[in-house]
Amino acid sequence: MSLSDRSRVNLSRALVVTGLVLYIPSNVMPVMTMSIIGKVDPLTVLGGVRELYDSGLALIAGVVFLASFILPLAKLLALAWVLFLHGSPKLRRERCKVFKIVHAIGSWSMIDIFLLAVLAAVGQLGALASVTAEPGCLVFAVVLLCSLIASEIYKPRLIWEGV
Amino acid sequence: MNEAVASQTGEIEGKWITCRFCEAPCLQRELLPGQELRCSRCDSTVMLHIPERSFQPPFALSLTGLFLLILANFIPILNFEVVGKSQADFMITGVIELWRQGYFFISLLVLFCAIIAPAVFLFCAFYLGFALALKMRPPGLALVSKVALAVRPWNLIPVYSIATVVAVVKLRMLGEVTWQPGARFVLAVAVMSVLCEQFSNRQIAYERLKELGVNIDE
Repeated sequence: MSLSDRSRVNLSRALVVTGLVLYIPSNVMPVMTMSIIGKVDPLTVLGGVRELYDSGLALIAGVVFLASFILPLAKLLALAWVLFLHGSPKLRRERCKVFKIVHAIGSWSMIDIFLLAVLAAVGQLGALASVTAEPGCLVFAVVLLCSLIASEIYKPRLIWEGV
Repeated sequence: MNEAVASQTGEIEGKWITCRFCEAPCLQRELLPGQELRCSRCDSTVMLHIPERSFQPPFALSLTGLFLLILANFIPILNFEVVGKSQADFMITGVIELWRQGYFFISLLVLFCAIIAPAVFLFCAFYLGFALALKMRPPGLALVSKVALAVRPWNLIPVYSIATVVAVVKLRMLGEVTWQPGARFVLAVAVMSVLCEQFSNRQIAYERLKELGVNIDE
C-alpha cells in the first residue's frame, strides 16, 4: 500500500492530534490494579512512579517517569511542531534535526505496557496476589502507537517538499 | 569531512544518489577509507567507504541473538512468591494472561513488540548479513531488506528487558522475587539486538545491495 504525500501529512496530523487528546486520560485512568493479600491498589502511570519514588527507588522512578510520562508528550509535541510548520520554508534544518531525534527516541514509552505484561504474568496467585489490566492501559497504548505510527508515516523529505 | 560534503550544484559530472533520510539528490564521488559523503540538506551520511568485513559483526550478532531469543522464550525469567505460593514468568505468560483478561489489543502488542518483531528483525539481519558478507544473492533479498526496515522500530526487546528490571523492583516490595536463567537470555538478546543495530549501517548495506543488483527502492 502506498500513501500519497497529502495523505501522509493528513494521517500524521490526525494521529498526533489523537495522541495529544488521549494523553491526559492515559495518565489519569488506572492502567492496572494490583491486589496483594487483600490490599487493592489501582495504579496510574504517575501513581506507579510515585510508589517507586516513595519506596526510595528514585533512580528507577526517574527512568519510568522519563520513559512513560515525559517522552510520549515530548514526542507528540515535537511531531506537532514539525507538522504545524509543514509547507512553510521556516526552520527546515531544525525541523529535520527534531524529526531525527523523534525517530531515535523510538518507543521507550512502551516500558509501562511491558511492565504490565510482566506483573500480570506473575500476578496469578488468586487471593494472595493478582494483577489485572485496566482500560487505562488501552488508552496509554493508543497514545504510544499514535506517536510511533505518525513518525513512521511522515517522511523527512516532506519537510522540504511541502505539499 | 567538509571536503566530502555532498554537492547539489550539478556542475560536477558523476552519478546522482539519493539521501536515505530526506531523499535529496547528492552527487556521488570516490571516497577514501574513513571518508563519508554527507547530505547538504539534512546532514545525514549519504555514502561511506565500505571497509572489508563490514557485514560480519551484524551477521554474527544476529545469529547469536536468534539462538538467545529461543532460549529466552523457553526458560522462565523470574519467580514471584507470596506466602509460600509461587508463580514463574515466561515471556509468553504476560501475553496469555492479558489475552485471558480480555485485553486482546495489549496482548497482541506485547506479543508483536517483545517476541515477533525481535525474531523477525534478527532473522532479517542474519539473512542480510549472510548475503552481504558472502556477496551472495539468495532469493527474496529485496523483500527481506524492506521487512528489516519496517520491523526495526517495533523491535522493543531492550525496552522489555528494562521493564522486567522495573517489575522486579516493584515486586520486591510485595513478595519474594528470584531471577531465573531466562532473564540473562532476555538481557543478552536485548544487547545483541542493540549491537546488531549499531553495527548495521543502512547506507553500507544499501550500497552493497546495489552492487549485488538489488534495488530496494523499487
